[in-house]
Amino acid sequence: MADFRRLVAASLLAGILAGLLLSILQHYQTLPLILAAERFETPDPGHVHDWQPEDGWQRNLLTVLFNGLTGFGFALLLTGAMYWRGDGGYQRGLAWGVGGYLVFFAAPSLGLPPELPGTDSAALHSRQAWWLFTAVATGIGLSGLFLSQNRLLQIAGAILLIVPHLIGAPHPAVIHASAPEALQHSFVLMSSISNGLFWLTLGGLSGWLLPKFTL
Amino acid sequence: MKTLAASTAISCSKFLPGLSAIVLGLSIVLGLGFLQDANSYLHNAAHDGRHSAAFPCH
Repeated sequence: MADFRRLVAASLLAGILAGLLLSILQHYQTLPLILAAERFETPDPGHVHDWQPEDGWQRNLLTVLFNGLTGFGFALLLTGAMYWRGDGGYQRGLAWGVGGYLVFFAAPSLGLPPELPGTDSAALHSRQAWWLFTAVATGIGLSGLFLSQNRLLQIAGAILLIVPHLIGAPHPAVIHASAPEALQHSFVLMSSISNGLFWLTLGGLSGWLLPKFTL
Repeated sequence: MKTLAASTAISCSKFLPGLSAIVLGLSIVLGLGFLQDANSYLHNAAHDGRHSAAFPCH
Protein backbone atom coordinates (compact mmCIF):
# COMPACT_ATOMS: atom_id res chain seq x y z
CA MET A 1 0.00 0.00 0.00
CA ALA A 2 3.01 2.27 -0.47
CA ASP A 3 1.20 3.79 -3.48
CA PHE A 4 -1.84 4.59 -1.35
CA ARG A 5 0.32 6.60 1.05
CA ARG A 6 1.77 8.50 -1.91
CA LEU A 7 -1.73 9.25 -3.24
CA VAL A 8 -2.67 10.55 0.21
CA ALA A 9 0.47 12.73 0.40
CA ALA A 10 -0.04 14.25 -3.08
CA SER A 11 -3.75 14.83 -2.34
CA LEU A 12 -3.07 16.40 1.04
CA LEU A 13 -0.66 18.93 -0.46
CA ALA A 14 -2.91 19.74 -3.44
CA GLY A 15 -6.01 19.93 -1.19
CA ILE A 16 -4.46 22.25 1.38
CA LEU A 17 -3.05 24.63 -1.25
CA ALA A 18 -6.26 24.76 -3.31
CA GLY A 19 -8.30 25.05 -0.09
CA LEU A 20 -6.23 28.05 1.00
CA LEU A 21 -6.80 29.73 -2.37
CA LEU A 22 -10.55 29.05 -2.10
CA SER A 23 -10.62 30.53 1.41
CA ILE A 24 -8.98 33.73 0.19
CA LEU A 25 -11.38 33.98 -2.77
CA GLN A 26 -14.39 33.34 -0.54
CA HIS A 27 -13.26 35.90 2.00
CA TYR A 28 -13.50 38.61 -0.64
CA GLN A 29 -16.21 37.20 -2.94
CA THR A 30 -18.84 35.22 -1.03
CA LEU A 31 -18.40 35.91 2.71
CA PRO A 32 -19.46 39.59 2.43
CA LEU A 33 -22.65 38.42 0.67
CA ILE A 34 -23.36 35.76 3.36
CA LEU A 35 -22.89 38.36 6.11
CA ALA A 36 -25.12 40.83 4.25
CA ALA A 37 -27.84 38.16 3.80
CA GLU A 38 -27.74 37.30 7.51
CA ARG A 39 -28.72 40.88 8.32
CA PHE A 40 -32.01 40.28 6.47
CA GLU A 41 -32.80 37.14 8.48
CA THR A 42 -35.38 37.77 11.20
CA PRO A 43 -34.32 35.98 14.40
CA ASP A 44 -36.92 33.73 16.01
CA PRO A 45 -37.30 35.08 19.59
CA GLY A 46 -38.29 31.68 21.06
CA HIS A 47 -35.31 29.90 19.49
CA VAL A 48 -32.26 29.23 21.66
CA HIS A 49 -29.15 29.41 19.54
CA ASP A 50 -26.57 26.63 19.87
CA TRP A 51 -22.90 27.41 19.79
CA GLN A 52 -21.72 29.05 16.59
CA PRO A 53 -18.31 30.47 15.73
CA GLU A 54 -17.82 34.15 16.45
CA ASP A 55 -17.54 36.45 13.45
CA GLY A 56 -13.92 37.16 12.63
CA TRP A 57 -10.96 34.83 13.02
CA GLN A 58 -12.93 31.95 14.58
CA ARG A 59 -15.44 31.83 11.76
CA ASN A 60 -12.72 32.30 9.10
CA LEU A 61 -10.45 29.64 10.60
CA LEU A 62 -13.24 27.06 10.51
CA THR A 63 -13.93 27.91 6.87
CA VAL A 64 -10.23 27.46 6.02
CA LEU A 65 -10.31 24.08 7.82
CA PHE A 66 -13.48 23.04 5.96
CA ASN A 67 -12.00 24.09 2.60
CA GLY A 68 -8.69 22.31 3.26
CA LEU A 69 -10.47 19.10 4.27
CA THR A 70 -12.91 19.09 1.35
CA GLY A 71 -9.96 19.98 -0.93
CA PHE A 72 -8.12 16.92 0.41
CA GLY A 73 -11.19 14.73 -0.12
CA PHE A 74 -11.80 15.98 -3.68
CA ALA A 75 -8.06 15.64 -4.49
CA LEU A 76 -8.16 11.99 -3.35
CA LEU A 77 -10.93 11.35 -5.90
CA LEU A 78 -8.90 13.01 -8.66
CA THR A 79 -5.56 11.35 -7.85
CA GLY A 80 -7.21 7.93 -7.35
CA ALA A 81 -8.89 8.16 -10.76
CA MET A 82 -5.77 9.53 -12.51
CA TYR A 83 -3.64 6.81 -10.91
CA TRP A 84 -5.97 4.12 -12.26
CA ARG A 85 -5.77 5.52 -15.76
CA GLY A 86 -2.05 6.24 -15.64
CA ASP A 87 -2.72 9.97 -16.14
CA GLY A 88 -0.36 12.62 -14.84
CA GLY A 89 0.93 16.12 -15.48
CA TYR A 90 -0.79 19.43 -14.89
CA GLN A 91 -2.53 19.49 -18.28
CA ARG A 92 -4.34 16.19 -17.71
CA GLY A 93 -4.94 17.36 -14.16
CA LEU A 94 -6.67 20.53 -15.40
CA ALA A 95 -9.03 18.38 -17.50
CA TRP A 96 -9.84 16.25 -14.43
CA GLY A 97 -10.39 19.47 -12.47
CA VAL A 98 -12.94 20.65 -15.03
CA GLY A 99 -14.66 17.27 -14.64
CA GLY A 100 -14.74 17.69 -10.85
CA TYR A 101 -16.25 21.18 -11.21
CA LEU A 102 -18.99 19.85 -13.49
CA VAL A 103 -19.77 16.87 -11.21
CA PHE A 104 -19.65 18.56 -7.80
CA PHE A 105 -20.60 22.16 -8.55
CA ALA A 106 -22.01 22.99 -12.00
CA ALA A 107 -24.47 20.10 -12.51
CA PRO A 108 -25.99 20.19 -8.97
CA SER A 109 -26.12 24.03 -9.16
CA LEU A 110 -28.21 23.93 -12.35
CA GLY A 111 -31.09 22.55 -10.27
CA LEU A 112 -30.14 23.81 -6.82
CA PRO A 113 -28.22 27.09 -7.20
CA PRO A 114 -25.94 28.12 -4.32
CA GLU A 115 -28.20 29.72 -1.71
CA LEU A 116 -27.69 32.52 0.75
CA PRO A 117 -28.76 31.99 4.38
CA GLY A 118 -32.42 32.88 4.87
CA THR A 119 -33.71 31.21 1.70
CA ASP A 120 -36.67 28.84 2.08
CA SER A 121 -36.17 25.68 0.07
CA ALA A 122 -37.63 22.20 -0.23
CA ALA A 123 -36.90 19.72 2.60
CA LEU A 124 -33.16 19.30 3.21
CA HIS A 125 -33.13 15.54 2.67
CA SER A 126 -34.90 15.69 -0.68
CA ARG A 127 -32.41 18.34 -1.87
CA GLN A 128 -29.46 16.27 -0.61
CA ALA A 129 -30.83 13.20 -2.40
CA TRP A 130 -31.20 15.08 -5.71
CA TRP A 131 -27.74 16.69 -5.29
CA LEU A 132 -26.12 13.30 -4.69
CA PHE A 133 -28.01 11.60 -7.53
CA THR A 134 -27.02 14.42 -9.92
CA ALA A 135 -23.33 14.24 -8.92
CA VAL A 136 -23.25 10.44 -9.37
CA ALA A 137 -25.12 10.56 -12.71
CA THR A 138 -22.88 13.38 -14.00
CA GLY A 139 -19.73 11.53 -12.90
CA ILE A 140 -20.74 8.26 -14.58
CA GLY A 141 -22.09 10.17 -17.59
CA LEU A 142 -18.86 12.12 -18.15
CA SER A 143 -16.80 8.93 -17.76
CA GLY A 144 -18.93 7.17 -20.38
CA LEU A 145 -18.74 10.15 -22.72
CA PHE A 146 -15.03 10.94 -22.46
CA LEU A 147 -13.20 7.88 -21.08
CA SER A 148 -14.81 5.16 -23.20
CA GLN A 149 -14.20 4.30 -26.84
CA ASN A 150 -17.47 2.38 -27.05
CA ARG A 151 -20.14 4.32 -28.97
CA LEU A 152 -23.02 2.82 -26.97
CA LEU A 153 -21.40 3.76 -23.66
CA GLN A 154 -20.82 7.28 -24.97
CA ILE A 155 -24.49 7.66 -25.87
CA ALA A 156 -25.57 6.20 -22.51
CA GLY A 157 -23.21 8.67 -20.80
CA ALA A 158 -24.72 11.64 -22.63
CA ILE A 159 -28.23 10.52 -21.64
CA LEU A 160 -27.16 10.12 -17.99
CA LEU A 161 -25.95 13.73 -17.98
CA ILE A 162 -29.46 14.96 -18.84
CA VAL A 163 -31.60 12.61 -16.70
CA PRO A 164 -31.31 14.48 -13.34
CA HIS A 165 -32.41 17.72 -15.02
CA LEU A 166 -35.37 16.02 -16.72
CA ILE A 167 -36.46 14.73 -13.30
CA GLY A 168 -35.87 18.20 -11.85
CA ALA A 169 -34.64 19.40 -8.49
CA PRO A 170 -37.05 19.61 -5.54
CA HIS A 171 -38.39 23.14 -5.00
CA PRO A 172 -40.98 24.49 -2.57
CA ALA A 173 -44.36 25.61 -3.92
CA VAL A 174 -43.65 29.20 -2.89
CA ILE A 175 -40.09 30.42 -2.84
CA HIS A 176 -39.28 32.93 -0.16
CA ALA A 177 -35.88 34.53 0.38
CA SER A 178 -35.21 37.18 2.99
CA ALA A 179 -32.22 38.64 1.09
CA PRO A 180 -32.86 40.77 -2.04
CA GLU A 181 -32.67 39.00 -5.40
CA ALA A 182 -29.66 41.03 -6.56
CA LEU A 183 -27.68 39.69 -3.59
CA GLN A 184 -28.65 36.12 -4.48
CA HIS A 185 -27.55 36.66 -8.12
CA SER A 186 -24.14 38.00 -7.07
CA PHE A 187 -23.78 35.04 -4.72
CA VAL A 188 -24.42 32.51 -7.53
CA LEU A 189 -21.95 34.34 -9.80
CA MET A 190 -19.24 34.71 -7.14
CA SER A 191 -19.44 31.12 -5.92
CA SER A 192 -19.33 29.86 -9.54
CA ILE A 193 -16.12 31.83 -10.11
CA SER A 194 -14.41 30.91 -6.82
CA ASN A 195 -15.30 27.23 -7.14
CA GLY A 196 -14.15 27.20 -10.78
CA LEU A 197 -10.74 28.61 -9.83
CA PHE A 198 -10.58 26.17 -6.91
CA TRP A 199 -11.22 23.13 -9.13
CA LEU A 200 -8.76 24.25 -11.83
CA THR A 201 -6.07 24.75 -9.17
CA LEU A 202 -6.91 21.47 -7.44
CA GLY A 203 -6.85 19.51 -10.72
CA GLY A 204 -3.66 21.16 -12.01
CA LEU A 205 -1.84 20.63 -8.71
CA SER A 206 -3.07 17.03 -8.34
CA GLY A 207 -1.91 16.16 -11.87
CA TRP A 208 1.42 17.92 -11.41
CA LEU A 209 2.12 16.37 -7.98
CA LEU A 210 0.92 12.82 -8.72
CA PRO A 211 3.92 11.66 -10.83
CA LYS A 212 6.32 13.34 -8.38
CA PHE A 213 4.91 11.26 -5.54
CA THR A 214 4.15 7.95 -7.28
CA LEU A 215 7.31 7.49 -9.40
CA MET B 1 -0.16 -12.71 -24.81
CA LYS B 2 2.64 -12.12 -22.36
CA THR B 3 2.21 -8.33 -22.62
CA LEU B 4 -1.50 -8.64 -22.00
CA ALA B 5 -0.89 -10.70 -18.85
CA ALA B 6 1.69 -8.17 -17.63
CA SER B 7 -0.58 -5.17 -18.18
CA THR B 8 -3.46 -6.93 -16.40
CA ALA B 9 -1.14 -7.61 -13.46
CA ILE B 10 -0.27 -3.90 -13.25
CA SER B 11 -3.89 -2.82 -13.27
CA CYS B 12 -4.64 -5.39 -10.53
CA SER B 13 -1.86 -4.06 -8.33
CA LYS B 14 -3.13 -0.54 -9.00
CA PHE B 15 -6.72 -1.40 -8.17
CA LEU B 16 -6.54 -1.39 -4.37
CA PRO B 17 -4.49 1.81 -3.77
CA GLY B 18 -6.69 3.75 -6.22
CA LEU B 19 -9.90 2.38 -4.70
CA SER B 20 -8.72 3.17 -1.15
CA ALA B 21 -7.97 6.77 -2.15
CA ILE B 22 -11.40 7.17 -3.78
CA VAL B 23 -13.28 5.60 -0.83
CA LEU B 24 -11.41 7.81 1.66
CA GLY B 25 -12.04 10.88 -0.51
CA LEU B 26 -15.78 10.13 -0.78
CA SER B 27 -16.05 9.59 2.99
CA ILE B 28 -14.44 12.97 3.68
CA VAL B 29 -16.48 14.89 1.11
CA LEU B 30 -19.82 13.26 1.95
CA GLY B 31 -19.12 13.42 5.68
CA LEU B 32 -18.43 17.16 5.55
CA GLY B 33 -21.14 18.02 3.07
CA PHE B 34 -23.99 15.80 4.24
CA LEU B 35 -23.78 14.70 7.86
CA GLN B 36 -24.04 18.28 9.05
CA ASP B 37 -27.65 18.17 10.17
CA ALA B 38 -26.86 15.43 12.72
CA ASN B 39 -25.04 17.91 14.95
CA SER B 40 -25.61 21.66 15.24
CA TYR B 41 -21.99 22.31 16.31
CA LEU B 42 -20.68 20.75 13.11
CA HIS B 43 -23.44 22.48 11.17
CA ASN B 44 -22.50 25.95 12.39
CA ALA B 45 -18.75 25.34 12.15
CA ALA B 46 -18.89 24.36 8.46
CA HIS B 47 -21.71 26.77 7.60
CA ASP B 48 -19.98 29.32 5.31
CA GLY B 49 -17.90 26.73 3.49
CA ARG B 50 -20.96 24.64 2.75
CA HIS B 51 -22.99 27.58 1.46
CA SER B 52 -20.14 28.70 -0.81
CA ALA B 53 -19.54 25.18 -2.14
CA ALA B 54 -23.28 24.88 -2.97
CA PHE B 55 -23.91 21.87 -0.73
CA PRO B 56 -27.56 21.84 0.40
CA CYS B 57 -27.85 23.58 3.77
CA HIS B 58 -30.60 24.29 6.38
